[in-house]
Formats: sequence, structure tokens, C-alpha cells
Amino acid sequence: MEGIVRFFENSGFANVTPGHLLMILVGLLFIFLAIRYEYKPLLLVPIGFGILIGNIPFVEHAGLHLGIYEEGSVMNYLYMGVLKGIFPPLIFLGIGAMTDFSPLISNPKLMLLGGAAQLGIFLTYIGAISLGFTNPEAASIGIIGGADGPTAIFLSSKLAPHLIGSIAIAAYSYMVLLPVIQTPIMRLLTTKKERRIKMKPPRSVSKLEKILFPVVALLLTGFIAPGSLPLLGMLFLGNLLKESMVTKRLADTARNTMIDMVTIILGLTIGASTQATTFLTQQSMHIFVLGATAFMFSTAGGVLFAKIMNLFLSTENRINPLIGAAGVSAVPDSALVVQMEGLKADPDNHLIMHAMAPNVAGVIGSAVAAGIMMSFLL
Amino acid sequence: MATIVHLLPIDLSAIGHEHLTLAVIGYSIVFLSLFLLFLVFSLLPKFLTRNLRRKFQKEGGEEKASLAGTIVPGEVSAAIATAISLYLEELHDEETSILTIKKVGKSYSPWNSKIYNVINFNRFQR
Repeated sequence: MEGIVRFFENSGFANVTPGHLLMILVGLLFIFLAIRYEYKPLLLVPIGFGILIGNIPFVEHAGLHLGIYEEGSVMNYLYMGVLKGIFPPLIFLGIGAMTDFSPLISNPKLMLLGGAAQLGIFLTYIGAISLGFTNPEAASIGIIGGADGPTAIFLSSKLAPHLIGSIAIAAYSYMVLLPVIQTPIMRLLTTKKERRIKMKPPRSVSKLEKILFPVVALLLTGFIAPGSLPLLGMLFLGNLLKESMVTKRLADTARNTMIDMVTIILGLTIGASTQATTFLTQQSMHIFVLGATAFMFSTAGGVLFAKIMNLFLSTENRINPLIGAAGVSAVPDSALVVQMEGLKADPDNHLIMHAMAPNVAGVIGSAVAAGIMMSFLL
Repeated sequence: MATIVHLLPIDLSAIGHEHLTLAVIGYSIVFLSLFLLFLVFSLLPKFLTRNLRRKFQKEGGEEKASLAGTIVPGEVSAAIATAISLYLEELHDEETSILTIKKVGKSYSPWNSKIYNVINFNRFQR
């Protein structure tokens, strides 16, 4: 009889709290959104399932070694890749091997939009300070404005490991909600005439330029912000593997098998780190509010800077200010939002190729911002 | 919106000079690094075509030299690439069917020898 009682005490039914149930509902919602509407399924399925795994209630610290925060548990070992900042650079290697920087090389002035759209990072940092977060915590929250999941995870693993779960969930949730967040801001800050601007088609880029880009970009950004090297080093290595054409096998592995493996483990552990007992706090709620404002400010920063640039550009070189919104990283989702919005204003105006330029510049910009934050605060 | 602001314990006095400095300098450095990249990659095409321009200048004077820096729009490149691809695919159709018949040489093995075969069909005994 005693054994049965002990079994029941150890079961999920005896340890369940409203928080666990709420988080299980969130996990189910993520899985539903991913499968039913195909919203970022590669991320939301592992994260959603991870939330389920992390929120099955059990007796914590009873020597069972089950929870992600319990030393010696399998999930804890996998989570080390997140805590030690190992997974984000590996994801960046894969992203580099997938990314085509030609739109950016063909129209280099669009790089500035990728810088302007990092406004949300620094404004949110100030906002987080005013909400009572410490300096490193505020920087980790601010980086959500870069709309780059691996960068947010990397920086928070270094500066505020206890907030990784909330920051990652906020970053990825808002990436799914990009059309909802960005579209109203894009419409508010542009006129219909501006949204109809047709841009010059990009020029063709030589192979030599494509090979030089990762090397030169690494040297420049690395010297300015060495803190960004783990991310940018891997990003540009991946890109060089792709563009050099002599390491096809390595590039294929980086952009397929390797990134898929890391995505599964990263998504799963991030999801599982949202254990209700440690995740559902007032701080997490504040992070969610700040994350949304970060995305909004970043979008506004990009769009407004594109409008400012237009003041100095000739009529034939003018930029459609919508593409400024793609300066928040979120590759390629924000570029797709721009494309959709551009088509609504003019069904013949395809902006996707132009939007990809600030989009990939945003990846570089947010990684540099993370490096700067690290240099200041570590 | 007012409710959200009311719910959040915002304390503006917590923002110090060091926070503002980090934000301003941080944003400026991000901008600077991308601006430097912009500068380098704006000048790079001119630098890369410098030798070609010199060569053209020797061959045909200023008029030909000006062709060295000609920017080929992506659409033109795509059209040329499509034309080449179509042309090469067309070439395949002109090949003779003889090429598709290959003589297969079988290396000898007692396992497939017709001499040691269990069933010796007549057609093998010509």
C-alpha cells in the first residue's frame, strides 16, 4: 500500500500546478500553430514538444535526475549546449552555408538599413533598465529586438543564463507573429506612394566578390567587435564554404544535416527550459512585453531610416521604405512580410530580392550588437 | 496602452548615464561596422575592374575602357544563363541514338560461366 502511495506521490497528477497546465497548453498551441498553419514548423514543433516535456510535473530534486535544471539528467546535459553557447554558433554556420549575400553585395547601401533596424535592441535595453532589470539582464532582453533567435540565446547564455528560456520563447514567438507586429507599423510610417516605389533590379555579382565578402566582412566586423566572433566567424565560414565551390560537401553538411540536428536539440531544450516552476514569473511577463516593443522599434528604425536615405538619393535610385522593415534579422520571414506588403500596394512590385539585402545585413548587425554588449558588460 | 504602462513598474530614475552611453555607443558601432562594409563593397567593383579597364584602354582607347565598369543587371544575366542552359539542353537532343547503346563487358567468373551452368540452353551452344 505504501508503495502505491509513493508511486502516486511521484506521479504527475500529485505534483501538477495550474502553471504546469498553462505551459502544457502553450506547448500544445505551438505544435498546433506549426502543424495546422505551418508557422515556423522547424522551430515550433521541437520547442512546443520541449515545453510539454519540461512541464510534465514530477517531484523535483528527489534524486530522480529528470528535470532540465537537475544536474546529471539527460536533458541537463543537452541543455549544456545552450548554456555554454555552443549551439548558436553551429546554427550560424548552417545559416552562412544557406545565405546568398549577392543582393547585399549588389546594392551595398542597403547594409545601412540592417544597422538602423537594430534600434529596438538599444531602446529596449534602456526600457529593461527602467523596469528594474540589471545591466546584463537588460542587454539580453534588448537583443530580442535583433529578431535573431541564436543571437538572443547566445548573448543571454553569456550574460543572463537564468533568463534564456523566457528570452528564447519571446524571440521565437514574435518571429512567428512578425506579420502581425510589422505590418501595422510599416503602413503607419509609409504613404501608399512610397510603398509603390519600384527599385532598380540588382546587378549581377561576380564569383570573386562573393568569395571576398565573407573574408572582408569577418575581418572588419571581427576587429570592431571581437565579441561577435563566435557568431560571425561561423556565419562567414559557412558562407565561404558555400561560395568557394570547392567545399561543396562541407557546405551541404553544414546547411542540412548539422543545422537540422542542432535545431532539434536546441528547440527541444529551450522548450523544456520553460519549466513552470522557474519560468512563470513576473520577470517573464515583463520580458514578453519588452520583446514585443523591441520588434516594433526595430521595424520602425529600419523603415524611417529608409525614408531618410531617400532624401539623399536620386529618383531612379530611391528605396522602397518597406524594405527597411526587413532590417530586423528573422531571415527570411521579415523579407516575406515586406514582399506581401509591397504586393498589396502594387501587384507588380516584387520586393523580395531587395528586402533580402537588409535582411542578411540585419543578421550581421544583430551579431555585432551582441558582441558590443558582451564587450561592455562581461 | 495606458493600462500596460500602469501595470509595468517603470522607474525612469534607474536609467543612468552609463546606460545611455552604452546604448548610444553600441548603436553607433553597429552602424559604423555596417557603414565600413558599405564603403568597402561600394569601392570593390571599381577596384576589381581596374586591370580590365587598363587592358581595354590599351586595346581600344577610352571608349572601350568605359565598358570595363559596365554594370550588368541581374535580369540580363538571368536571361543569358537561361539561353545558355536551353542551348545546352537542345544539344542533347541532337545526339545520335548510337551513343545510348553501350557494349557491356562481363568479366569471367565460374559462377556465371555457361560451361558450368546447370541448365544449358541450346542458344548458348552455338
